[in-house]
Amino acid sequence: MKYLLKEETVCADREFELIRITDKVRDFVRESGIVNGICFCITEHTTTGITVNESLPCVEKDILETMDRIIPENYPYHHNHYLDSYGTIGGNAPGHLKSLLTGNHCVFPVIDGELKLGHADDIYFCEYDGIKTRRYMIYIIGE
Amino acid sequence: MLIDAHVRPALFEPICQDRNRFHNRCDAMHYHRMNPSGMELLKKQYLLADITGVFLLPSDCSAETGDSEISNDEIARIVALDPDLYYGFAAVDPRNKNAASELTRAFTDLRLRGLYINTARLHIYPGDARLRAMLDICREYGKPVIFHAGFSFEKDALAMYSRPIDFEPVIAQYEDINFCLTHMGWPWVQETAALLLKYPNAYANTALMNFDGPYQIYRKVFLEDMGELWVEHNLSDKILFGSGSPRIRPVRSRRGLDSLGFSEETRERIYYRNARRFLGAKEY
Repeated sequence: MKYLLKEETVCADREFELIRITDKVRDFVRESGIVNGICFCITEHTTTGITVNESLPCVEKDILETMDRIIPENYPYHHNHYLDSYGTIGGNAPGHLKSLLTGNHCVFPVIDGELKLGHADDIYFCEYDGIKTRRYMIYIIGE
Repeated sequence: MLIDAHVRPALFEPICQDRNRFHNRCDAMHYHRMNPSGMELLKKQYLLADITGVFLLPSDCSAETGDSEISNDEIARIVALDPDLYYGFAAVDPRNKNAASELTRAFTDLRLRGLYINTARLHIYPGDARLRAMLDICREYGKPVIFHAGFSFEKDALAMYSRPIDFEPVIAQYEDINFCLTHMGWPWVQETAALLLKYPNAYANTALMNFDGPYQIYRKVFLEDMGELWVEHNLSDKILFGSGSPRIRPVRSRRGLDSLGFSEETRERIYYRNARRFLGAKEY
């Protein structure tokens, strides 16, 4: 059994953005040499997410706009206050809440050395608190 | 277009190479659990907020601490990376014997654009003779002055030394120098408003992230603590946008101000015209 970890860096161009990372994950699965196993894709941050959806601009727009409707920027969140432990205002409550909706990871089978995805599936790193330099993990277990 | 008239470059990567210096700086300025930011990342953040100009404010309390937290040379080094974007300000500790020569060097050799002074950290009152000697140099070189005003989160800072109304004699005496009071002088916002109303050379900036988020604090300060028409009718040409970054990201600060419903003319003034005028531009 092999256990392989790769950490990737990503930086959005916008404050809220869905960034397609399918090829990064697929490439690492191929490089890994693992024929059958399981692949985890996990974000390292609490105001980002990892999700799967169809890579159409209209769908991406609907996802982000729906999140904004459910979790508006100007709501008086409890997190909107001075945080002495940082010396800053907690201005990213919407990011924390949006990350709940997509979760911090996705899981995929590795079969015959390839990442197994549904025909319309793409993997996204979801930025809800940009612009920052971010990291996510690709972790593969198999043989 | 936006000019951010209040950025502390404490986390700018090019001046964070010395880890001890970085930690001492963050401890003094009360920034915690944050990493240095690369210049390209900062540029992307500025682009997001439509920022085309940034005032960089240093930090010097060296008579007490032995060294400035952000030096004039460090400010000049950042400005040199993008002179069209950054407006570097100087800081000196007026209690130092070499303060006058250092300020002169900052204006002549480093070509910094003005002086930033935090009397709350220096524990000197605005009328202190040592500070007036620095203002005389600003007058000689035609440089504007940014005073920290009101409450400060920084270590050992005492707001009793930076109450807005205590700057009045200085603003009145140096009528040929433009002064900007930071943070709207919070919590003494009405004192700041009174100075802005009376003195043509008095300005203030909007960096006041202390309570709530930007939507709530700006509403409280600009529409409740101050009469809801004060900015629109009297003070629109006296207020500069300032985020207070890194205590908050500029784009969020801007969204809070955008939400107040000011006219387009007032927003243009606050967002960049007043900053240009404060710096001495003939056309703004």
